[in-house]
Amino acid sequence: MRFIDSTNFERLLKKLSGEGELFVPVLDEDSQKNHFERVEAFPLPEGTNFEGFRAVETLKGFAQLVRSMVARYPTEGMDEMDVAELLPTFVIVGAKACDVRAMQLVDKVQVEGEFTDPFYKARRDKMIIIASDCTEAGETCFCNLLGSNPWPESGFDLSISKVNGGYLLETGSDRGKAIEEENKDLFTDPREGQEKSRDEIRMTVLAGLKATNRDYPSGDKVTEPLREALSDPLWHDEAARCLECGACTNICPTCYCFLLFDQKDESGEGYKRIMSWDSCQVTGYARMAGMGNPRPRLSDRVKHRLYHKYDYLVLSHGEIFCTGCGRCIDACSASIDMREVFGRVTKAAK
Amino acid sequence: MNNPYYPIDTVLEDVITETPTIKTFCLKPVRPVKFKSGQFMQLTVPGVGEAPFTPSSDPNITEKMEITILKTGKVTDALHELKPGAKVGLRGPFGKGYPLEKLEGKEVVVVGGGVGLAPMRSLLYGLFDDPSKYKRISIKFGAREPAELCFKRQYNEWVNLSPNIDLTTTIDIPHPEWDGKVGLVTTLLDDLDINIAESYALSCGPEIMLKFVTLKLLEVGYKPPQIYLSMNRKMSCGMGKCGRCNVGHYYLCVDGPDMCYDKIKHVPNVFG
Ligand SMILES: Cc1cc2nc3c(=O)[nH]c(=O)nc-3n(C[C@H](O)[C@H](O)[C@H](O)COP(=O)(O)OP(=O)(O)OC[C@H]3O[C@@H](n4cnc5c(N)ncnc54)[C@H](O)[C@@H]3O)c2cc1C
Ligand code: SF4
Ligand code: SF4
Ligand code: FES
Repeated sequence: MRFIDSTNFERLLKKLSGEGELFVPVLDEDSQKNHFERVEAFPLPEGTNFEGFRAVETLKGFAQLVRSMVARYPTEGMDEMDVAELLPTFVIVGAKACDVRAMQLVDKVQVEGEFTDPFYKARRDKMIIIASDCTEAGETCFCNLLGSNPWPESGFDLSISKVNGGYLLETGSDRGKAIEEENKDLFTDPREGQEKSRDEIRMTVLAGLKATNRDYPSGDKVTEPLREALSDPLWHDEAARCLECGACTNICPTCYCFLLFDQKDESGEGYKRIMSWDSCQVTGYARMAGMGNPRPRLSDRVKHRLYHKYDYLVLSHGEIFCTGCGRCIDACSASIDMREVFGRVTKAAK
Repeated sequence: MNNPYYPIDTVLEDVITETPTIKTFCLKPVRPVKFKSGQFMQLTVPGVGEAPFTPSSDPNITEKMEITILKTGKVTDALHELKPGAKVGLRGPFGKGYPLEKLEGKEVVVVGGGVGLAPMRSLLYGLFDDPSKYKRISIKFGAREPAELCFKRQYNEWVNLSPNIDLTTTIDIPHPEWDGKVGLVTTLLDDLDINIAESYALSCGPEIMLKFVTLKLLEVGYKPPQIYLSMNRKMSCGMGKCGRCNVGHYYLCVDGPDMCYDKIKHVPNVFG
């Protein structure tokens, strides 16, 4: 573990920004929420905030663009070009535990297995993550219910924890180690008591989370009750409130579904294939040719989202695909709260 | 980088009209495409988009491929308008293909309905490689009316391949030009003269048909592990990435599209 003071940390970021694009969380005055902003020049933008809790945006949007071209045809060009070479490195500073974890989960789908999505992989390879501890938790945060802590434990290159005068810094990858090594002048050994003070902050934040979420059951134990609640009327109640806007899936850091579609290209002679985010909550998502829809009712789709995250992906990829970031709660105009769903499911299964 | 979203350039060499709504498209990709019976391709109509289809041709032939397609929507309408010489694209193959090894030594019942006969032809070619490996190959085909039975020109050729191959057909409603069986394809399963315990049934067709075929098979004594269904869900990536084709925790594009009924019987709305 190393210590870096605030001035040197900014120096480090400036240096890293020479290698690519730098994104930092900036606190919005009105909403009092963090947003990722690209740093165009130094000093860092006013309001830069490595503290607090997660930003409004996820890291998913950096790895899988909302909309991007994945092929241009009929020119073999795109088949051979090295996308990774064309991409700048990008450094994301201040990503929170729930988001770093979400990227590790999506990696399991997009990178591991028989096929790899080369575009996602190229972006992931170019992504340098400097994660940071949460120094407070939001009202909708429930990472603790998924068995996680509000500080990053893996999946980052570097991780910083705010302490007096600067940050304690840990490395989490070879790339992180290399950055530390190349910049060793900027670091010192931690002073006595700093690690202890970090741990105290961590425990305070965790205690706050536990207090906020004390009335809800654990999300990481909801898989079994879900299986029992398959035909419970609760799904109709949930669906009756849902507006089918898809906001919950768009904002979710672990939702990765997409659609491919084709268009004429600018020249008018060729075609391009576009990949675009999609949502399992909308009617046409799974509709088949002429012969019906496997999830015709909204309740089927609301249910599908839950089962996909807390049951199906446990079976296919070994993990619950929810990190408790709480964004879906913030985004839902109908105030559907995942934690309350856990409660209802657990009750229904009893 | 090998881009799995890039369609292989392919020329449409010939179009065979099978029925008023079904055509077989004979394709020649710029490089050979190796596939197993039951695996599927994503076929691109430039500028329109792509849709998943299981080749209906012999998997031993890799330079060319036939795909038999029902006209039903955006991509398939555009396909049906294409003339020989047109350029299309292919991605794949995707999916697991039929479990041919499992079928060895068994009595195999192949049930196809409507355009579901198309993917079944690739299964049949797989079985016909060495029909003696199977105790029996019993083909049951159904369509709405006589004109809609695919591949009629080949039925004789198939049953003549080996004495252990038989083929029966039915149409849904009586027709002046038809003196064969009338009734849904399930009626062909009423009096199966086989040892069910030593048998596998494989089926492909509209989901509603799959549902009734499954119920019938269970009724006549098949157990869920002996039933295989070609599940034709909407697909986009073909590679287990886009999430579209989920049935329970399975991705049909990777784990299917032919699924053992035993694996999916608990899934809500398994038949769409
Ligand atoms: C693994 C697999 C193998 C297959 N093999 C074959 C095969 O060998 N042969 C074959 O013919 N087919 C096969 N299919 C089915 C084939 O993929 C579909 O018929 C094809 O995708 C239809 O594409 P389309 O763009 O023409 O239809 P679409 O344009 O998607 O529309 C199909 C139909 O859906 C309905 N529809 C369209 N838009 C909407 C909307 N917004 N809301 C509600 N309903 C709508 C309409 O009824 C329309 O006719 C297979 C499918 C799979 C998954
Ligand atoms: S389901 Fe909701 S709480 Fe869970 S990761 Fe997605 S947005 Fe966050
Ligand atoms: S969910 Fe947990 S890790 Fe994520 S921002 Fe909230 S407190 Fe931090
Ligand atoms: S078609 Fe994309 S996951 Fe199956």
